[in-house]
Amino acid sequence: MKRCIRPDRPCAHLALWLLLWLAAPAWAAAPVSGTLGATGSDTMASLVLRWGEALTARHPGINVQFQAGGSSIAPSALVAGTTRLAPMSRPMSPEEREQFQRRYGYAPVELRVARDALVVVVHRHNPLKALTLSTLDAIFSTTRACGAPAPVSRWEELLPTGDWPYGRIALHGRNLASGTHDLFRQRALCGGHFRDDISEYPGSAAVVAAVGESPRAMGYTGYHHLTPMVQPLGLIDAAGETIMPTPETIQNGEYPLSRYLYLYVNVAPGEALPPAERAFIELIMSEQGQRIVRAAGFVPLPADELEPLS
Amino acid sequence: MTRPALPARTPWRQLQDRIATGLITAAGIGVLLAILAIGVFLFWETLPLLTRFETLSLERLSPLAWGTLKAAIAALVVALPLALGGAIYSALFMSERLRARIKPILELMEAVPGVVVGFVAGLVLAPWVERHLASALALVVWLPLCAVLAGLLWHATPARLRGWLPLGRAGLWLLPWMAAMAVLALWAAPMIEQRWLGDDLVTLLDRRFGLDYTTRNTLIVGLAMGFAVIPGVYSLAEDALHDVPRSLMEGAQALGASRWQALWKVALPMAGPGIFSAAMIGAGRAVGETMIVLMASSNAALISLSPFEGLRSFSAAIAIELPEAPPGGLTYHLLILAALVLFLFTFLVNTLAETVRQRLRRRYRSGGGR
Repeated sequence: MKRCIRPDRPCAHLALWLLLWLAAPAWAAAPVSGTLGATGSDTMASLVLRWGEALTARHPGINVQFQAGGSSIAPSALVAGTTRLAPMSRPMSPEEREQFQRRYGYAPVELRVARDALVVVVHRHNPLKALTLSTLDAIFSTTRACGAPAPVSRWEELLPTGDWPYGRIALHGRNLASGTHDLFRQRALCGGHFRDDISEYPGSAAVVAAVGESPRAMGYTGYHHLTPMVQPLGLIDAAGETIMPTPETIQNGEYPLSRYLYLYVNVAPGEALPPAERAFIELIMSEQGQRIVRAAGFVPLPADELEPLS
Repeated sequence: MTRPALPARTPWRQLQDRIATGLITAAGIGVLLAILAIGVFLFWETLPLLTRFETLSLERLSPLAWGTLKAAIAALVVALPLALGGAIYSALFMSERLRARIKPILELMEAVPGVVVGFVAGLVLAPWVERHLASALALVVWLPLCAVLAGLLWHATPARLRGWLPLGRAGLWLLPWMAAMAVLALWAAPMIEQRWLGDDLVTLLDRRFGLDYTTRNTLIVGLAMGFAVIPGVYSLAEDALHDVPRSLMEGAQALGASRWQALWKVALPMAGPGIFSAAMIGAGRAVGETMIVLMASSNAALISLSPFEGLRSFSAAIAIELPEAPPGGLTYHLLILAALVLFLFTFLVNTLAETVRQRLRRRYRSGGGR
């Protein structure tokens, strides 16, 4: 069941047209070369590097250099002019947009390049399968802004029948300054505050590893970091239906903690992008680019959202 | 001080000397200026925060300050008895030949990078201790007891046998004994746990005392960072003890003091300042250490006394958050303030340790008199 998310666009045949257009031998023209710099999200590091490899395979003259330092350094690099491409795992904040606008006089071009989700994970043998969003908030926050009546801190409160796991829920999450931390706070805690006894890790893979080694643990991480050591929890929506984080539910946005991954481009209106940057974006929006998205563990965009840079 | 007569210098050599002296002086001043510049930079960057004078910074930083202190205390609790005990034994009682081998090996421990220690502690030690908490605690209590027991047994052995087990080489023959005792503890602890406690110790702590157990907790940090601090403390304390003039120890023993009395009444008071400065340098390292705390602790900003709960230290917070904190924001300024506090603290501790050590050196030079 594919739904058209933006009804204002004649999605089906446009998508087909786009695919045809992109599959056309546009790259067979002049050889493109140069060094392509990008700075931004470390969530997207593996993805950008894979795109870079594919681009170099296509145009041996192009060399992609990606500096991963987190989504929050991307806007400043864009404003400072050290890069024209800034991959970010969250949309730019109004202040960041404002800064860019003040420096260049136009807004950066925002491209949605892939879909991703935050998943709540527990140990692979944990009997818990799903949570409601308000329970999730009651577990992770002190504020319970999503409307849970009481905090939940022990496994007995979640699994009244089973006696295993027993005791306090050991919580694991990302560090304060990361985009993942921020997004989880906004979407899962309804903007509230985290409890202060959550173990914080500088990387998502470390969260998964920590949850994978303890049956009493629960944590949140990026979808592409899932390993067989942990099992993702489904989220129960208002209608009482359990939604598991699968490529389909993440792609169509049904899964509540799904998000877009972005690429911000510094290009003046009416200006043509340099050929290397252009080839990079064409690659991302191509079928091959989206196959790479899947291979890197993320979820490809819905076919109707592949847009070329005009 | 009078200078010895130097051979006549050619102008060229004089010039060389001048250049070398100038370069060395410049480098020294450069280093001093750099340290000063770091302080000034940190202070300058925190000014906007300090002028606003909000309680927010105090509120956000106090768990970190406590975490730093807690980690350092845990590390010293682990490191000081082991390092000082080792230093006393190897400086005063160990046979010279064995000492010449053991000391470099222990000092080599310092070369183990913090990342490796933190990695092993966080990924291997922490999960193991969580699964076998009773065994781990049993080891901590049982092994020191076994060392004492070995001493008692040694006293009771007939003199003929003692020749086989010389005191100067106790470090070697104690190894198999301690290993056997460790195996015994590891074998017995789970059975005791099952028989008498009836449950897993972690569950029991939670049920009986309401104590929370975090996988990467203060205990793990203490063990890992203790391991990292031991070589530094050991090496400095050992030097201080070994430099106590032999004549004093021998004199005391000749006057009828036992080895124990000579140790407590002569060697330790003489080397006291050196041992103190060794402990201070250990504390400085424990406070500033980043990777071990980062990887072996939960990084949860808590204020708690429990050794089974996690902590977050200044240095780990700076390492994790600063790369992603947007420059100029509140988090950025708070982190710089944390860096300033850390800088001042380690600076003070190291200066204190160095001053005490200089004074000690002067005391030894003046002939060992009091």
